[in-house]
Amino acid sequence: MQTQTVDIRNKVVEEDKPWKDFMRSFLRHRSAVIGSVIILFLILIAIIAPVLTPFEYSAKSNDLMQSPSANHWFGTDEMGRDIFTRVIYGARISLWVGFFAVIGSIVLGSLLGLIAGFFGGWRDAVISRIFDILLAFPGILLAIAMVTILGPGINNAMIAIAIINIPTFGRLMRSSVLRIKEEDYVLAAKAMGMKNGRILFHHILPNCWTPIMVQGTLSFATAVIEAAALGFLGLGAQPPEPEWGTMLADSRPFIQTAPWTMIFPGLAIVLTVLGFNLLGDGLRDIFDPRMKQ
Amino acid sequence: MKKRPIWTGMIALVFLLSIFLVACGGKEGGIKKDTGNSLIYGRGADSKKLDPIQVTDGESLQVTQMIYDTLVQYKDENTEVQPGLAEKWENSADGKVWTFHLRKNVKFHDGTPFNADAVVFNFERWMDKNHPQHKGGEFTYYPDMFGGYKGDSTHVINKVSKVDDHTVKFELNRPLGPFLANIAMPPFAIGSPEAIKKDPEKFNENPVGTGPYKFVEWKKNDTITLEKNPDYWVKGLPKTDKLIFKSIPDNTARFNALKSGDIDLMNGMNPTDAPQVEKDSKLQLFKQQGMNVAYLSFNMKKKPFDNPKVRQAISYAVNKEGIIKNFYAGLAEPAINPYPSFMMGYNKDVKEYEFNLDKAKQLLKEAGFEKGLKLKLHAPQDPRPYLPNGKKVAEFLKEDFKKIGIDAEIVTAEWKTYQDQVKSGQHELALYGWNGDNGDPDNFLYVLLDKNNAREKDASNISYYMSEEVHKLLVEAQSTVDQKKREELYKKAQEIIKKDAPWVPLVHATVPVAGKKELKGFFPHPTSGYKLYKVSR
Repeated sequence: MQTQTVDIRNKVVEEDKPWKDFMRSFLRHRSAVIGSVIILFLILIAIIAPVLTPFEYSAKSNDLMQSPSANHWFGTDEMGRDIFTRVIYGARISLWVGFFAVIGSIVLGSLLGLIAGFFGGWRDAVISRIFDILLAFPGILLAIAMVTILGPGINNAMIAIAIINIPTFGRLMRSSVLRIKEEDYVLAAKAMGMKNGRILFHHILPNCWTPIMVQGTLSFATAVIEAAALGFLGLGAQPPEPEWGTMLADSRPFIQTAPWTMIFPGLAIVLTVLGFNLLGDGLRDIFDPRMKQ
Repeated sequence: MKKRPIWTGMIALVFLLSIFLVACGGKEGGIKKDTGNSLIYGRGADSKKLDPIQVTDGESLQVTQMIYDTLVQYKDENTEVQPGLAEKWENSADGKVWTFHLRKNVKFHDGTPFNADAVVFNFERWMDKNHPQHKGGEFTYYPDMFGGYKGDSTHVINKVSKVDDHTVKFELNRPLGPFLANIAMPPFAIGSPEAIKKDPEKFNENPVGTGPYKFVEWKKNDTITLEKNPDYWVKGLPKTDKLIFKSIPDNTARFNALKSGDIDLMNGMNPTDAPQVEKDSKLQLFKQQGMNVAYLSFNMKKKPFDNPKVRQAISYAVNKEGIIKNFYAGLAEPAINPYPSFMMGYNKDVKEYEFNLDKAKQLLKEAGFEKGLKLKLHAPQDPRPYLPNGKKVAEFLKEDFKKIGIDAEIVTAEWKTYQDQVKSGQHELALYGWNGDNGDPDNFLYVLLDKNNAREKDASNISYYMSEEVHKLLVEAQSTVDQKKREELYKKAQEIIKKDAPWVPLVHATVPVAGKKELKGFFPHPTSGYKLYKVSR
């Protein structure tokens, strides 16, 4: 009995190690750290937005088109709204859209990928062809088509972005599953008569997780850009929501007279995308077994 | 491998900076074009067709006006009528017969003579749907201005006939007040009968008229090139050998093209760019009197907008001065009546709904909406001359509506879709507008507010305002030739319209047009149809 207890304790220590390992290589990876700092900063700003600014994002005032000043850090737009306020509230929208669009495509994509990879046969054929069809369209074009059908709005834009990203995750999952289902432990589980569902969710899914996470982080960046693009085209967030892409589109007439109306939302998009790309690239390096010493 | 991401970031930043710097510099970089003795006119959209009767948009008509002439034409600065292809004209005592004496020795660009037969041919082609050359597309403006086609009970023109080679007689079924103003409209320009007979379908692309310029080439969505007609019937015109129309859809891009010297003149500029033109020593700004109106329409078919109290309440909640200051850079006048004050019969005694949120709240309460009201506010995405930023105006209105308990949801669409939506009454509230064609009040009131124009589809009375009283006044004014009496009738109509409030008239926008400093002889005409053949360097 006693020996067994010791064994378990040892095991717990063993399991702890990969996490520590990960943290060590993560902290050593400069771009991953910079990326995650940027993202944490954005999340923080989005959460405490109301504390950071005395203004309301939709409230007009008489200070039209003012250049950046101590009172209005990023200046004001043609309705006298404070651009700093709109940019930080915009972080809420962009992060919200990015997060749910990516979660949505991960859930659906992974599920389809799991089924296709594990069962093969006609299921694989049907699902893979659906992925091919989705991939045959340029992503943003498909999103525009979908939003046109569903009607403009931030939630519909989110749904459209989720759908166009499904095949990315689906294919990734399918290829991982194809590899893992031939692994000895899966074959062993099968031989012992374990049910398919249990094999899928207890043995295969956890082992396919890493690439999905890396891809998810990178897709977050694309989702933010796509949401901004739809907003720019007038298909995403509807006025007076302070979405960055919509703000960019609205400031086009003033690019020469009031460039700050365009620069700050533009920089916000750049910063967000940069953050997620740095983190995503970093994670890929860290999880890549070939990169380990 | 590990360093790469940072490099990508750096490159992205450098790229961003360079874009910014390029946008700032660039002024001297433009290629100097050898323009010679030509005029390049930059505009927001390409022509649709080159047969004037088949188009309704200003850009198409701007080009056809340079190729064709009308029997009578507008003066340089206003919509008073002066001789065109007709030197003089008479009207019979009962107002039903018009006789036009045509100019002699005028030739079409294909060498065939202009005479009474050509005028009769063109009018017959427009009015008769069974005419062998009534082809190529819809002839929209004809039924709009003359009550329908031949055979319709409301059709105004009974007969157009030749008296002699240079005299034409129009016999009308009933007197038509704005007849002369209508005839002067650019869609009713006389084309060469020979060219039309040769190929009525292709006449769209090969226009032949009597105008100051001949057609040379049309590169779709890019340029239309015209060259001087040396035999033009006004000596000394046109002033330039070539006239080129260049389409540059984006307002900012077009303005940049003007600043870099690629174009000489441009329409459709953002009002907010106007101060920049005034500051620039190489450019000049023309301010065109706004013969237009932007308005907020209530769809009176839908509840609760059938209730006048609700409409009046919202009228009190519209801050016109604020809209002008924010979105028109001050280049507009607040609209009180449906048409601007410089036009005939303007009623300056109507009672305006001033911006007063307390009154608005009070009226809403009386109408039973104490707790508030939810509504949909439609706004166009694309700029129009009378409404340069509809979406923003909607946001502006929304903020004030909030204060009286109205929750407005903004719905936007791209221009073509938007037109379809509001013209079939899918809106509750909609921002819309109108550019006057001929300077007659009939062209505003009858078109926009008569029950005859509240059609199920393709309505121009998008408020579905069905007032019998106004209808009677408008029809009477239309069939009266005595201008004094017409003025009285229109004044009366404006009074009723103001009280019923089917719209909130917002502004009459002054249209800014910019050109190079050295240009002479440009008059910003209130119809937006410019006599570019009088422009010289």
